[in-house]
Parts: sequence; structure tokens; C-alpha cells
Amino acid sequence: MKSLFRLGSKALALLALSGTLHAEPLKIAYSDWPGWVAWEIGIQKGWFKEAGVEVDFQWFDYVPSMDAYVAGKVDAVCMTNGDALVTGATGKPSVGIVINDYSNGNDMIVGAPGIQSVKDLKGKKVGLEEGFVEHLLLLTGLEKNGMKPEDVTIVNTPTNETPQVFGSKAVDAIGAWQPNSGQALKTVPGSKPIFTSADAPGLIYDLLAVSPESLEKRRDDWAKVVKVWYKIADYIRDEENLDDVLKILSARVKISPEEYEPFLKGTYILTLDEALKRWEKADGLGSVYGSNKVVDAFNVKFKVYEKAQDTEKYLDPSLTKEIAAKK
Amino acid sequence: MPRPSILRGWFLIRRDLPHRRRLALTAVSFLLPVLLWCLVSYVPWIWHPDVKIELSAEREGVTTVFTAGDHVSRDFFPKFAEAVRGENKALLAARAAGKPESGAKRRNQKLLRQIAPLAVDHGWLAHEESQNDAALYQIWRDLASGAKTATRPALTAENLDIIRANWQQLSALSPEFSYRKLPDEPLLKLIPQGRPANPVYLPAPDEVLRAGLRDFTADAPDGELTMLQRYQRSLGIILWGFFWSCLIGIPVGILCGVFDFFSKLFEPFVDFFRYMPAPTFSTLLVAVLLAGDAPKIALVFIGTVFQMVLVISKTTRLLDPSLLEAAQTLGAKPKQIVTRVVIPGIMPNLYNDLRILLGWAWTWLVIAELIGVKSGLTEFIETQGRFRNFDRVFPVIILIGVTGFVTDQFLSWLHGLFFPWAGRSGAFSRSVAGVVTWPFRMFAAASKERLPVSRPPGAATPESDSP
Repeated sequence: MKSLFRLGSKALALLALSGTLHAEPLKIAYSDWPGWVAWEIGIQKGWFKEAGVEVDFQWFDYVPSMDAYVAGKVDAVCMTNGDALVTGATGKPSVGIVINDYSNGNDMIVGAPGIQSVKDLKGKKVGLEEGFVEHLLLLTGLEKNGMKPEDVTIVNTPTNETPQVFGSKAVDAIGAWQPNSGQALKTVPGSKPIFTSADAPGLIYDLLAVSPESLEKRRDDWAKVVKVWYKIADYIRDEENLDDVLKILSARVKISPEEYEPFLKGTYILTLDEALKRWEKADGLGSVYGSNKVVDAFNVKFKVYEKAQDTEKYLDPSLTKEIAAKK
Repeated sequence: MPRPSILRGWFLIRRDLPHRRRLALTAVSFLLPVLLWCLVSYVPWIWHPDVKIELSAEREGVTTVFTAGDHVSRDFFPKFAEAVRGENKALLAARAAGKPESGAKRRNQKLLRQIAPLAVDHGWLAHEESQNDAALYQIWRDLASGAKTATRPALTAENLDIIRANWQQLSALSPEFSYRKLPDEPLLKLIPQGRPANPVYLPAPDEVLRAGLRDFTADAPDGELTMLQRYQRSLGIILWGFFWSCLIGIPVGILCGVFDFFSKLFEPFVDFFRYMPAPTFSTLLVAVLLAGDAPKIALVFIGTVFQMVLVISKTTRLLDPSLLEAAQTLGAKPKQIVTRVVIPGIMPNLYNDLRILLGWAWTWLVIAELIGVKSGLTEFIETQGRFRNFDRVFPVIILIGVTGFVTDQFLSWLHGLFFPWAGRSGAFSRSVAGVVTWPFRMFAAASKERLPVSRPPGAATPESDSP
């Protein structure tokens, strides 16, 4: 009788195991921001398999990646903290469980020749994706220079099309991130960045935003993903690996490693210890919580959405903290 | 003085030129644009508003990195070179003052790689080895000692001096490459070199040729298709779209041409529908048929079928009415008239219509391949165009053109073979036709001989009465 029971429990355990083995891979949408392209290192080196989690990273353009998330085609999406609020207010809420990096210059407003500063933008056309991260950057830049949103005309342009639109001289400035902004700078000689995320560090944090259901159902799997991320972050931050890192990242967006190298400076990849500091609740842009508050107030003020969001619900540092505790 | 005979007789009013002259003119019609292209590309004082960078350098504190092959404007290039020269001067000044910077190993490693594109062009390094620092180190040694000399482009005296000066520092520390033994203070940068070039959208013929050869022969990176596979996929979309279009368009077109009933039933709507541009249906098609090739094929179908119905019904109406009258006089029923008179009668023109409509289908290819998930040749054109690699775009565009032209010429030649009684056919195609149709003619002749025996007398079909 006892042995029968043991057999039964073994079978049950096996069943449970096979259940996890056959679990659907976690579907994650990612796009061309350097901090997210970094996931590619974990994919190519097989670190997710090593960690025992099945993942399916799907490559998108940025805004379509968020559309796919809202439509429920993926379990998680890589987006900025501000766009997570926008997506939450207008489509589907999410929970940020990883801070990949903060933007340190790679997001830029690029002005055509003759436009030397944000002030010169008055009455000009700016091509960017309306309501998303570069719009936030532009509005911040305008505010810092004592200007109003009405001072410029926004031309809604997909970020990966900005270089061509800028090159066609249809707009006087664009808002884009690397590698698109770099492409735009190359396309129009004499153009230059007039306002970048380095002028407002901490305004833009780049997150892995997971759907609340998926996080609840498969918390253990997501914990493994978070763990792989810190392995990737350590790998990138080690100078010895620079060439390998550049090779993997640049190949994903099809430019040369030499061109890619400056982007690493404009994307500050956070190690575990650095990330923990950013996860602390505080006011101001030094904390992701503070950044969320600032961005939320901003979005409401400029009517990107109507109602203020409960910004703390969009963040969950517990997975990172558990990894830090085990160390 | 009379003109030499070669110059005479070119301008004949409404008369064909002799065969050889026509051939020559056909060749010239292709050579002229190519010649023009060569002229604009290779004669240095025509146009050339850009500089194509052949040897690049990175500037400190600037995120825009130019690599060899990039185009910059002629005004900007001297500034670029001057900026690098300025950095070198500052470096020498710091050295002279005894306060050189340190911690520049990575910078120096990148600096060694400055000559990689040059080394690849000269065949000293394989294309995928441009980050092989050990090999590059040896090339620096050979360039400094004069064992290797760069010829295209030749290094300027200024750069050769820099190479020698740098090598002196490098070789003092290590004869072989080792990251740890690279000098800690920054080395001098090579000054950018470039040559006049046309804008990036008009690469020279040899660049296009080389890029094309590389792309068509290279293995694709993981998860991507080779050019041949892309080509097959594109052809598949065209041919399937055209096939479905024929399946519907030909029967409907013929019926409309013969019977006023069908003409009034279908043609007004078709006429209306064809003005709606096919691409406007693209999102709808993706929603209905999902991703993959189906919506693309459907787009080619929608773009082609309505024209096809109208063109074919018109061709059918143009059939010589005396043929129909003759058949009716001989007592043919409507079904017989369609199958025995109309279809055989319009066949040569129908064939030509289809040939032109196939060309029409090709024009939808690019749009079809952009909808849903980008695919085939167009995806390649799109991606490379976005990165301004137009030298890689042109071969693909030319490939599409050549495919269309060759197919059309071939089909047109086949026309002479299939329908020797309609229009002109050369002696060669007539003889090929003779060989190809020989078994059928023999068979037909044999069956004709047997005909009178197997049939009751007086029941001859209308066409067997014709001489």
C-alpha cells in the first residue's frame, strides 16, 4: 500500500515536472534600443536554457512591440518607464521587473543645420513618435528652455523612419534613439544633437515590463529571466568582452561594431548593485519611482492621457531584491 | 563628297532597317545608359559632390563614427581630417610637455583597426577577419618596413610617417600583438583619406557589380535567406498571383467578350473596382489571410485580375466577325462557337495579352512583399536601402528588371513558335517549331487518314471542311 502511494506521488511529481517542461516559452517582445538588444547576448550564449527557462524573444519595431503586448500576443515587452505608463493608461498595464539601463545620451533631439539649440525650434517641425518617449524628451527640453509645446509642430513619424524623413528635409528636427539618431546625424551632414537624455539623466529608464497575469502565474520563470539579465549586465560591463558584446549587438541592428561602440556610453547598463539603488523609493530622477512620478505628472499635464496613474503598481523590485539577497 | 555607305540609309521613313542594323541599335539602346552611368561615375570632374571615405578615424567625444565606405560631403571632409590632425597635434604637445594621457589601450586597439578596410581591399585580410588584431599588427609592421605597399588607395606620406612613428612605439613594447602590451599612452591617429564620389544613391558600376557578386554568392547569416531563396520566394508570389488571376480572369473575360449577358453582369463592377488601388486592401488582406504569403499573392491577384477581365473581353470582341458568321451559317451551336471558333481564334492575341499582364503583375511585387511580414527580394531592398547601401540595392533591382525582360522576350519568341500563322516568326523559331510540333503533326495526319473510315459519311465537322 505504502509503495503504491509512493509510486503515485512519484507519478504526480513526474506529471508536474512534465507540466513545467512543456510550459509555453515566455514570449518577450524586444526592439532596437541598445539596452534591450543586450538580451541578444543571453539568447546567443544559451544562458536562458542554462537557467532552465524557455524564452521566445520576438524582434519588433518599438511601437509595434507595445501594440503586440497590448493585443496579448506576448507576455512581456521591453519599454521605457514612461511608455509603460502610457501603455497602461491607454491599453494594458504592466509591471517592470528589470531596469536594464537608463538613457544617458542615446535618446536625442537632432536639429538640422542651422538649428543650434532647443530655442531655435520655435515654429519648426519635429518628426517623432507622438505620445512616446522622444515626445517626453522633447517636451522636457522645451520646458527647460521656457518654451511651450505649441511652439513646435509634431510630425508623427515611426522612429526607424526618422533618418529618411530627416534626410528628405520634410522636418527641421527629429526625436530618436540610437541607432536611428546616429543614422540621422550621418544622413544630414552638419546636423547635431540639441537636447539628449544626458541633459535629463533618469528621465528615461528602460525596463522589462511583464503582464501582471504572467508574473503571477509564472513568477519562478521570470525570476530566472531576471537572473540571466544580471549575468548579461556583468558580461557587458567587463571591458574584456567589449569586442564580443559589440559584435553581437551591432549584428542585430545591422551596423558595424565600430559605429556601435559610442552607443554603450549613451546607454548606462546597470549592474545588480547599481540597479538596487535605482529601485529605492525616493523622489527625483535618481530613483525609478521618482522618475515615474515625474513622468506621470508630465503626461497628465500635457494630456498624453487623462488620469494620473498609480505609478508604484507599475514596478516590482522584489525579483531583483531576492537575487541580491541570495548573493 | 559622297557619304560612306555605313552612314547612309539609317533614317528610312516608315520602313524597317536591315536586320543587322536593327540588332546594332538594340545593343546601343542598352549601352547608352550604361555609358552615361560610367561617364558620370568615372570622369572625376563631372559632378562628384561627395567624398567616399577609404580610411577613417574616430574622433574623441563625437558619437558619429564614420567607417570606410561612408560618404560625406566635399565641404565636410577637410574639416573631418583637420579635426583628427588637431587631435594628433594636441597629443604631440602633451607628449612634448611630458604629460601624455594614459589608459588608452582600447583606443589604440581601435586605432590599429583603422587600416583593416584597406587590408581587406588589398586581400591581406579576409573580409570577416577585420578584427583579427594579431594579423593587423603584422600588417602595421609590414607597412612600416615597406614590405607591403598600399596601392588603392596609396597611403599619403603623412600617414606613412604616422605608421612608422606608431610602429616604433609598438615594436619597442612587443613584436607580436598582445592587448596588455599595447602602449598605455595614445598613439597617433591615421588621417582620414577619401576619394571624390557621387552621392551614395549613385554608386559606380564596378561597386554595384562587386556588391552584387558578393551578395549573390555569399551564404546568408543564420535565420536569413540567401539571395537565391529570396528570388524563388518573390517569383513564387508573382506566379501564384498570376495563376489565380488567369484561372478567374480568362474564362470571365472570354464570356464577357462573347455574351452581352455576362458583359453587362460583370464588366460595370469590374470597371469600378479596378480604380480602387490594390495596395489600399493590404491591411484588410493581412487581417483576413494573416501573415505569410497568402495576402501577398492575393494582392497580386487583385492588382491583375480586373485588368485581365477587361483586356481579354476586349480582345475577344475584336475577333473577326466573319469567322463567327461563317460558323453560324454552318449551324454551330453557341457552345461550339466559343470552344471551336472564339478560343482558337483569339489564342494568339490572348497569349500576347497575358504576356503584357504578367509584366503588369510584376509591378505589384514590391508592394505585395512589403505588406504583413516583409519578404523576398523587397525585404532586402528595404533593409539595405534604409542603411543607404545602395550599391547592394541596385543589383537586386536590376535582377528584377532582367527577369522581367528575359521572360518577356522568351515568351514573345514562343509566340512565334506556338502561333506561326499570326505575326512574324524568324526562320530559326520556325524550324524549332517544326521540330517540336512534328510528332503532333504526324499524329494529326495519321488520324485524318483514318477519319473517313471511322465516321459515317456526310457528318464532317465545320473546321475539317476548311482548306
